[in-house]
Amino acid sequence: MKLLVCVKQVPDSTVRVKVAGDQKAIVPEGVTWAISPYDEYAIELALEHKDANPGTTVGVITVGPPRARDALRQALAMGCDDATLVTGADVETLGGLATARALAKVVDEVTPDLVLCGKQASDDDQGFVGQALAETLGWPHVAIVTKFVASDGGTEIWKEVEGGHEVWKASGPAVLTVQKSQKDPRYPSLPGIMKAKKKEIPEKDLASLGADLGGPSVEIRAMEPPPARKAGRVMKDGDPKALAAELAKLLRDEARVL
Amino acid sequence: MTTVTGEAAFDLSLTEEQQLVQRTARGFAAERLLPRAAEFDQKGEVPTEIVRELGSLGFMGINIPDEWGGSGLDMVTYVLALEEINRACASTGVIMSSHVSLVCDPLLRFGSPEQKSRFLRPLASGEQLGCFALSEPGAGSDAAAMRSSARRDGDGWVLNGTKNFITNGARADVALVFAQTDPAQKHRGIAAFIVERGTPGFSVGKLEHKLGIRGSDTAQLIFQDCRVPDAHLLGAADEGFKIALATLDGGRISIAAQAVGIARACLEDSVGYAKEREAFGQRIGDFQAIQWMIADMATGIDAARLLTWRAAAMKDRGERYGPDAAMAKLFASDVVMKAARDCIQIFGGYGYLTDFPAERHYRDAKITEIYEGTSEIMKLVIAEDMLGE
Repeated sequence: MKLLVCVKQVPDSTVRVKVAGDQKAIVPEGVTWAISPYDEYAIELALEHKDANPGTTVGVITVGPPRARDALRQALAMGCDDATLVTGADVETLGGLATARALAKVVDEVTPDLVLCGKQASDDDQGFVGQALAETLGWPHVAIVTKFVASDGGTEIWKEVEGGHEVWKASGPAVLTVQKSQKDPRYPSLPGIMKAKKKEIPEKDLASLGADLGGPSVEIRAMEPPPARKAGRVMKDGDPKALAAELAKLLRDEARVL
Repeated sequence: MTTVTGEAAFDLSLTEEQQLVQRTARGFAAERLLPRAAEFDQKGEVPTEIVRELGSLGFMGINIPDEWGGSGLDMVTYVLALEEINRACASTGVIMSSHVSLVCDPLLRFGSPEQKSRFLRPLASGEQLGCFALSEPGAGSDAAAMRSSARRDGDGWVLNGTKNFITNGARADVALVFAQTDPAQKHRGIAAFIVERGTPGFSVGKLEHKLGIRGSDTAQLIFQDCRVPDAHLLGAADEGFKIALATLDGGRISIAAQAVGIARACLEDSVGYAKEREAFGQRIGDFQAIQWMIADMATGIDAARLLTWRAAAMKDRGERYGPDAAMAKLFASDVVMKAARDCIQIFGGYGYLTDFPAERHYRDAKITEIYEGTSEIMKLVIAEDMLGE
């Protein structure tokens, strides 16, 4: 089986992002970049399939600036077989639909059996590109996937639902958007890092793919940091019973959690 | 290695794979070690599964070539990884560095192809754990005063004696053991032997209770008429002392990296607390007294890190690095002692409690001034280099 995982490089979850002066982007200096967490789960799901089915190949692709090469190198070090970087001018402000159309061009070329994406990226939480890619390709799409297995000519796909899961079946190629699953993504092993170092990461020019990068789009008008959290309150002086009553009252009337 | 080569002769930037290894080590340390470091310290044990995980990720043979089961990375990458691991858990750090620097390294450098194939490969791939048995009850800094003996007997050797303070001693599969073959020859009579666990006459004695690095075991090893074949002699019979000294030179770089890692834990915990804790109506980080401690910590750590990287880069380039390793260890262990003391001071009363990590850093830091050569021995090495012929 040939799998293709689409990833996005995002600010690492431990980074404290700052809004830039124009309020339309974050300050890139000092940001550590990482593979978006759900995309890492998608890689893990693909690699688990490869572990269990040795004939499987796992490719990884990103549409992003040159620094996104680091994300691809990490995916190779985790055990992916090959990686492709799609890049070009204005790639950082490319909208979700244009990104999906660019990815679709590469999918046409690579002809994978399944395409896996994280269910949403951790930077904008749009949850858009996977679905838009399926739509552009004319492929079926299953969301919130935690597992898949090949079964007589198709793929059985576990989709998380409230309190359990449904098993869907795709008879041909499909796009899966992947949910966090019980097995955490593996760390790249050090021998894996050495192997990944030797692999070429071919680059494709965004403008030369022939994808329609225009069309309906959204733009960011303004970003603002969340308001500072109010300081907590410590209640310690006084009779414990009275304090408890006061606490209950505050939790009910002020915090409104009771 | 890009630190000091060719045109970019003062480029301290890290290569892509060095950064990736650093990130992997940081991720592993933050997720697998940091949340449990206090528990490992209290229970006095880093679980075997953690050591196995480090092995399966390639950390237990990080700088050993892949033909011998290692990951084939350089010494600079190794110290980057050690800093991250020690930042989270110094006990895990010393389990790894004793195994890599004190067992895998000498096997790679002095072992025959047969010895590498049989002993180094399972060690470097992390399937087995190694320990380095040099110190004795009456021979620490003065290692040549050892009393453990190796007597020639047919086509093998018979070992007798007691080794102590042996990191990983209780659970190691393979021990690198130094013993005297001829007391009249003094240090030239010392030989190094590879002894497997389960060899008749080899047993583990008492476990030591320590101030710090409590998650790593420190054991006494006992040899009573323990017979080892000639094939287990590492290097020539008169090379043991040379092997021990060369091995410790490399080990010192790893202890310097450990000191940098623990000092970074002190700094990061101090900064976190200084931003949060309030006194006299403001954050304590707003007081200059606290700011100065933090500025000193940060500066010391950076300087110690640079000395450590330099010694590692020199080892990678095959240069003579012994005095530089000694400087890195001497300086870094001094930096971490001060950082740990100030960290407790910044935490105030809470710093003295086991509920907070500051007191663990303080206890863990002290050993870096003692093992793999005390600070006094480091000064001796450096002064000899300055004053010697």
